[in-house]
Amino acid sequence: MGDHQSAGHSDPPIIQIRNLRKTFHHGRIVALDDISLDIPKGQVCVIIGPSGSGKSTMLRCINYLEVPDSGTIIVDGITLSEAKDINRARMEIGMVFQQFNLFPHLSVLDNITLAQRVVRKRSRQEAEDIAMDLLRKVGIPEKARAYPGQLSGGQQQRVAIARALAMQPKIMLFDEPTSALDPEMIKEVLDVMLQLAQDGMTMVVVSHEMGFARNAAHRILFMDDARIIEDSTPEELFNSPKEPRTREFLSKILH
Amino acid sequence: MKQKVVEEETVFADAITPLRLNSRVVVWRDRRLLAILAGAALVVFSFALPMFTWRITAAQMTYSGGTQRSARFPLLIAGQHYAQKAPLAKKTLTDLQVTVAPVKEHRTSGYGWLAAILAERGALRQHASFVICLLMPLIAACLGAAFVGRLLRDGWSWPESWIPWLIRLAVLGVGGILLAWMHQFDFSDWLLILGGKALWPRVGFWGALAGALALLIGSWGLRRETQRAVSNWWVLVFAVALAVWLLTRVRPYPYWEIWTFIADGILVTLRIVTTSFGFILLVSLLGGLGRIAHSKFIYGIASLYVELIRGIPLLVQLLFIWFALPQVFDVIGAALQGISPALQGWGQWFIDLRLSPFTAAVLGLTICYGAYGSEIFRAGISSIHRGQMEAARSLGMTYFQAMRYIILPQAIRVILPPIGNEFVALLKDSSLVSVLAVSDLTRRGREYMARTFLSFDTWIMVALCYLVLTLFSSRAVEFIESKSKFER
Ligand SMILES: Nc1ncnc2c1ncn2[C@@H]1O[C@H](COP(=O)(O)OP(=O)(O)OP(=O)(O)O)[C@@H](O)[C@H]1O
Ligand SMILES: [Mg+2]
Repeated sequence: MGDHQSAGHSDPPIIQIRNLRKTFHHGRIVALDDISLDIPKGQVCVIIGPSGSGKSTMLRCINYLEVPDSGTIIVDGITLSEAKDINRARMEIGMVFQQFNLFPHLSVLDNITLAQRVVRKRSRQEAEDIAMDLLRKVGIPEKARAYPGQLSGGQQQRVAIARALAMQPKIMLFDEPTSALDPEMIKEVLDVMLQLAQDGMTMVVVSHEMGFARNAAHRILFMDDARIIEDSTPEELFNSPKEPRTREFLSKILH
Repeated sequence: MKQKVVEEETVFADAITPLRLNSRVVVWRDRRLLAILAGAALVVFSFALPMFTWRITAAQMTYSGGTQRSARFPLLIAGQHYAQKAPLAKKTLTDLQVTVAPVKEHRTSGYGWLAAILAERGALRQHASFVICLLMPLIAACLGAAFVGRLLRDGWSWPESWIPWLIRLAVLGVGGILLAWMHQFDFSDWLLILGGKALWPRVGFWGALAGALALLIGSWGLRRETQRAVSNWWVLVFAVALAVWLLTRVRPYPYWEIWTFIADGILVTLRIVTTSFGFILLVSLLGGLGRIAHSKFIYGIASLYVELIRGIPLLVQLLFIWFALPQVFDVIGAALQGISPALQGWGQWFIDLRLSPFTAAVLGLTICYGAYGSEIFRAGISSIHRGQMEAARSLGMTYFQAMRYIILPQAIRVILPPIGNEFVALLKDSSLVSVLAVSDLTRRGREYMARTFLSFDTWIMVALCYLVLTLFSSRAVEFIESKSKFER
């Protein structure tokens, strides 16, 4: 596979994936098959593809929630292999899940401050200041004392984004952040993500929100059958997809 | 058919007037409120009439072997002098005689008795329970009157929250006046028989009792006017505890004696149960974590422990620890000494190692209940969606930080009810440690029975003691559960 690092970037890519392979059920299910991928700093990369193609698995391998069978992953110069490195790298990677995964027994404020205090060792005051800033940024500062169960889906997902941002990560991973949301709530989450992209965050987003891909993505990957089939810009992919499988998939999701 | 409908309607309407329709409550038309008012008045009035006119002034005890003791009671008989002075099982009370004398005229009424006790220095402390019992119907009467008074003043809204308390205090009022009378003969039926007709209560007592009953009937009729739970299971705990207490009072022989004999056993049982429960929680947590561990080795060890221990009866485990483990230690010690002279000291340490009965009991209960607890913890922890762990890990927390701050606080709500049941089961199963020479409640009961052959009385007392403990802890567990539900 070719190196996607362009001549303009002298820095090494912030995420380097080499020959990544991941199987389940003792090799009977191949989720990722020899994936190599570089993502430079500041890039917004959207991944699309049919269900079961390995998108989530790839995202989860990047912060080692899934342990790959083989291959190397280097994040921000840290090669992920040892437990210590993994925890260090995870501080640099924020992740947002489809099901939000907020901590239901903690208030919104505690959700955002807990990891800051126990992982980053910040004082409560400092952590809360950061949390309130982020809550203002995602537009729900008034919900600081509420519990996740009292929030709408869109509000929960925005809290989840704030929680990830509070660790001041260099990379944000989004796994279908809007697909568990009602249509009227999707926009409020996408707005936050758009803002984040404009601020220059490195983002890897699994999403079928084509509007977001058009507006924010620098790059779009099409995955099928555990491989990256097509790797191009949004304009290229939407206007003239090279692969027939891509064309077929796009015609399905764009109607 | 038609007839029936009409009937139902009238019943319905009758039950509901005049309260639910948000119309003004007409006190004079509500029989329940009238009963409360009349009861309160009757109680207050009856306390001014002669209540207890004779009393026991002295007692003369003769014990087997001819020892004699006597006691004088300046105000009221108290303290079970005749019973406590008898040294256990060696001497028994063979004869008891009492002197009965009339009470001074102005002191015979309820108020008179209260005043007499309050006037005497130090008497209040000695006769506190009599005073409390006597005050109960008065307090109930005051509350009932205040309740009706509030309704008269502000007839539109029911002081709903008062009703449960009104009922509770009315119950206490009836019980209080009865118990107050029993203080006259120190609860002992012998003294009542000896005192004969003289100790029988007079008109003031019957008036107060009738008044208290009227209060109770009236307030009980109001129980449907409130959403709050009126009776709860705490009453049962209270009732059983009261039964134990009354037994020791009414029949000091043998129940007071049994009580003094087994009381230290209760403490031992409680100490064993609480100590083991602490260790059980620890073992259960570790076992539960082991049962969900990714490492095959840790998982294997935890599973083996759980499966093996759950397959062996607790009694057999206890017998093994107590009788067979010392032999195992001896063999280990001898083997160590055989391997090399350098291990001489260690070998000797093993040979000398003997568990105290208490340690053996705690060890046995911990090992056995830890296995059951491990399964409870495993189920509790794995009931938490794995997204929680992933979210915590993705924020950079370690496995143990995630457990400590995210998983366990959520799992505890799932774990609490079954682990509370385990505590109650442990309390009961702790009676098995009596085979290990631990002087717990059960063993003390057996010892007492071996001395006196009073099997019925001994075991009824032991059973009641266990019942108080288990009922109390069930309630306590329920209380903690209800608290943990609201706290977030
Ligand atoms: N924990 C797991 N155990 C077993 N198989 C798994 C596991 N996670 C994923 N897989 C399998 O790996 C393959 C890729 O799954 P993955 O979740 O990455 O797909 P996806 O592209 O995210 O699909 P979707 O769009 O439905 O989320 C699928 O065949 C799936 O069944
Ligand atoms: Mg997925």
